[in-house]
Amino acid sequence: MLSSKVLLSAPSGLHARPAGELVKLVKGFAGSKVRIATPAKSVDAASMLGLLSLGLKSGSELEVSVEGGDEAAVLQAVSSFISSIGE
Amino acid sequence: MKASGPAFLWKRAASGGLSRSFSEAFALVQGELASAAEGNEVFAAHLEILEDPMLSESVGEQLAAGLPEKEAVSAACASVCSMFEAIDDEYLKARADDVRDVFGRIAAAMEGGDAQAPAELPQGCVIVAEELMPSDTARIDFSRVAGIICARGSTTSHVCIIAHSHGVPIRVGVSIDGISEGSLVEVDDPAVGGSGAIAALVRKYGRKLYVNAGSIDEIKAAMAAGADGIGLFRTEFLFMGRSSLPTREEQKELYLQALLECGGRPLTLRLLDAGGDKPLPCLHIDKEDNPFLGLRGIRLCLRHPELLQCQLGAAVDAARVLKGMHPEYFSAGEPPLRLMIPMVSTVEEVLEVRRLLPEDATELLRLGIMVETPAAVLSARTLAGVSDFFSVGSNDLTQYIMAADRGNPGVAGLYTPLSEAVLEAMRMVTAAAHSAGIPAGICGELASEPEAAQILVDTGFDSLSLAKL
Repeated sequence: MLSSKVLLSAPSGLHARPAGELVKLVKGFAGSKVRIATPAKSVDAASMLGLLSLGLKSGSELEVSVEGGDEAAVLQAVSSFISSIGE
Repeated sequence: MKASGPAFLWKRAASGGLSRSFSEAFALVQGELASAAEGNEVFAAHLEILEDPMLSESVGEQLAAGLPEKEAVSAACASVCSMFEAIDDEYLKARADDVRDVFGRIAAAMEGGDAQAPAELPQGCVIVAEELMPSDTARIDFSRVAGIICARGSTTSHVCIIAHSHGVPIRVGVSIDGISEGSLVEVDDPAVGGSGAIAALVRKYGRKLYVNAGSIDEIKAAMAAGADGIGLFRTEFLFMGRSSLPTREEQKELYLQALLECGGRPLTLRLLDAGGDKPLPCLHIDKEDNPFLGLRGIRLCLRHPELLQCQLGAAVDAARVLKGMHPEYFSAGEPPLRLMIPMVSTVEEVLEVRRLLPEDATELLRLGIMVETPAAVLSARTLAGVSDFFSVGSNDLTQYIMAADRGNPGVAGLYTPLSEAVLEAMRMVTAAAHSAGIPAGICGELASEPEAAQILVDTGFDSLSLAKL
């Protein structure tokens, strides 16, 4: 398993539209399990409800972890998507 | 405002069939939502929620904790909802409604409920419901609804927001005990008033609710408020405050933008309506002793054919581009662009404008007239034969029929749009339109007067175009 920390800088936090795009991205990596964690909670990144329920605000620091598949490539793709939200 | 109508008792899907397991119910709801999700954002979002791994996982957790299936579903629903309700964000808090809605469907299917078909609402009814969830709201055709009463729900709930956007009065948290199907029910909603009262009346009679606009921003606001279209788009602002006339390309861009903002709903574009009473710096207009009886509206346009050709060409260009971008807007046989000729007094004027349009114009737009001169009223039958629609401009029509300048305090008392003479003129206009099979609307200030709305509906107008919604 690989993991890394990412900063969410989108001014309006993680809202429905970017969360939906993130879910779509993660579902594209069929062989990998991706999770997003805050200090309080960890959720399946393929779950829109899970992501929204984190109530992520701008400036939140997240930990992305990937298990299975091409872990390094998936981690890179998901992390750069999250840091690019709101750009 | 107050609205009333026969009660329509909103029923949930009938239960009582064979009960289903969670997985059977899940599959049934999945099928229902998948077929309803096509082109419907609410159901598409609900399908996503249903298929979200968190939903099945949370039910699985409750089952693993030893709860029977039905209890597991309601416990899972409560736990997912509480997560959303704890979030300090109004938008995300409201998602709990959608989650409850989806779980509610599963629970109903487990109890043997069947697929929910869209309700056939009687025109002008008052919906009486225990509670209306977002999926219920998505099935309501608000153009048929005079009002809504719910026993449960909050004023910030989804159904209230949507009802208000349609100008439909709604009360939540009131007793619905003893209301029987078809009985007369009154809904009093202080949040809906003024234009809302007119909107509700227009809907009740199944007429179109248009808004007048003089800018792209006003079109946006009208569409956001749920208008059926733009009943008068004034193009004068394009010509104001400049020393040269706007180019065909410049006009085309603006008209296209306006059409796109309307999203397929009608845009009634009035050809330049200038004259001695409404001068333009970019157009030389001779001083007249009596500008209201002078070169104004189409008379001025026909005197400057290059100006008229440029505006008509720009409108045709915009409609052509729109058709390329959105052929579906044209598939019902009623193109969204309606060109409206101001200040018509003879059939010749209409024919001259029609001659300037290309041969395929009938596939791209409709050409109608403003009825605002006594001459147009008295020749309405002939004009209806060469026009695709009528729109009464009540301000000028009243002035011309009563021969009274509304701005002159000495005769302002004669400026009475609801007087016998003006009403009779309007009846002649709607009758002539209907016997020729074309629609007649009204776009003057009278359409925005709440006390006139019932009279205008009774006069037979197919659309009322309000100053603001």
